[in-house]
Amino acid sequence: MTLPLTKKHAFDMVFDSQRVFRLLLEAMSRPGNIVDIGEYAGRLAGEEPAFLAVAATLLDNEVSFNAGADRVLADEIAALTLARREELGAADFVFTRGEDDMRPVIEKVKCGTPADPHKSATVVVLTGAPEGTLTLRGPGIDDRRTVLAARAVGEAIELRDAQNYEYPQGIDLIFISRGGKLLAVPRLVKVVE
Amino acid sequence: MNKNYNFAFLDEGSKREIRRAALKAIAIPGYQTPFGSRELPIGRGWGTGGLQLTLSLIGPSDVLKVIDQGSDESVNAVNIKKFVALCTDVKTTTDARAATLIQTRHRIPEFPLKNGQILIFQVPIPEPLRVVEAREEITKKMHAEKDYAPMWLQLYESLMKYRKITVSTEYPCMVEGRYMMNPSPIPKFDNPRLHKAECLYLFGAGREKKIYAIPPHTEVVSLAFDDVPFERESFAGRKCRLCGSANTYLDEIFDAQTGGKFYQCSDTSYCQEVRHAPE
Repeated sequence: MTLPLTKKHAFDMVFDSQRVFRLLLEAMSRPGNIVDIGEYAGRLAGEEPAFLAVAATLLDNEVSFNAGADRVLADEIAALTLARREELGAADFVFTRGEDDMRPVIEKVKCGTPADPHKSATVVVLTGAPEGTLTLRGPGIDDRRTVLAARAVGEAIELRDAQNYEYPQGIDLIFISRGGKLLAVPRLVKVVE
Repeated sequence: MNKNYNFAFLDEGSKREIRRAALKAIAIPGYQTPFGSRELPIGRGWGTGGLQLTLSLIGPSDVLKVIDQGSDESVNAVNIKKFVALCTDVKTTTDARAATLIQTRHRIPEFPLKNGQILIFQVPIPEPLRVVEAREEITKKMHAEKDYAPMWLQLYESLMKYRKITVSTEYPCMVEGRYMMNPSPIPKFDNPRLHKAECLYLFGAGREKKIYAIPPHTEVVSLAFDDVPFERESFAGRKCRLCGSANTYLDEIFDAQTGGKFYQCSDTSYCQEVRHAPE
């Protein structure tokens, strides 16, 4: 008896990753714009489809990632993208949960060098439901912008700022909820009172 | 659509690398992010940097416009537009207001671009410091150290020799007070349009393998001295011979037979729009 071949994921690596990328581009170039990648994340099967949608769009065997202690997630990302696992201090992409302690993550990830600031980590944080508001300021924002954000967003930005990176060094943050709502906070974007 | 190739010609691995570089470029406005420039069916130096960005960004719902020095109809623009249409089946347009992606060689359209539009520049020489320093290794260090003195000296020398800054295109600017950036060879007339714009600007240099970006609402200041402010080209007293616009960038056209000179809009679709607009 032969079983019919079935695909694990319904995510289209050409068209769905293009859509997710354009939404990421929108989020990154207009910080505070919350985009929704939920539809595309829903086409991926796994522990955290929202993580997998970002991973499927940006990761491949040319970059490295770290998913902390979550072996299941790391296995899924590796199987989906063929990206290599790397320790925290050297990983290009870092996936972490906002409910866990983010301090060791933010303190350890690479921030690039003055000559090569692009050799820095992009940290993708899984967040819960929005709990309060944050006002953001920086390139991509017309004066200032107030967003509804989960607790982890403010915490991660605070931890990042405590590192006192000398620009252009820094790390770029992407926050994503389980439902696929995505907010990006690049290194120049700051929280203001 | 030509089915012998992947959608948008490039393989997915190439697109992903270009996409990663574009996101980093946006996070560090004005910084030239290196990327592995791919071979394309057009020669390096013919807009391959812009084309690779366009191909990595484009999706079935996009509407594409391509211009070359403001014209929709010149060889470079027509062929790039045909090529992208052939491998994606996206709609193309000449209307700057209807396009979601605009690939451009050396001009910013006259119609102000809006939120949701992306302008992709073809860049021959991304390095603004190349005129003062030939070695990439050194210019990279100069950017790291924000050492832009030689460029200021170059402008100062121009002032001393000619009583004005003679740079007409590729007029350098500072992005967010940190990076000196070459805005590609757009006339300095267009430089102020980069400052706190509504749209996203992406720059691709295929031969030099660099991608850089200016996100919307980003500070882009053309270099100038306190006592010698930045000046655009002046077309005072001149207007387009076709549409009569006096506030656009004009091309000077020379008639070899009569020896006469006349002026017309460099942005051809804007010029047509003005001519066909109801009174």
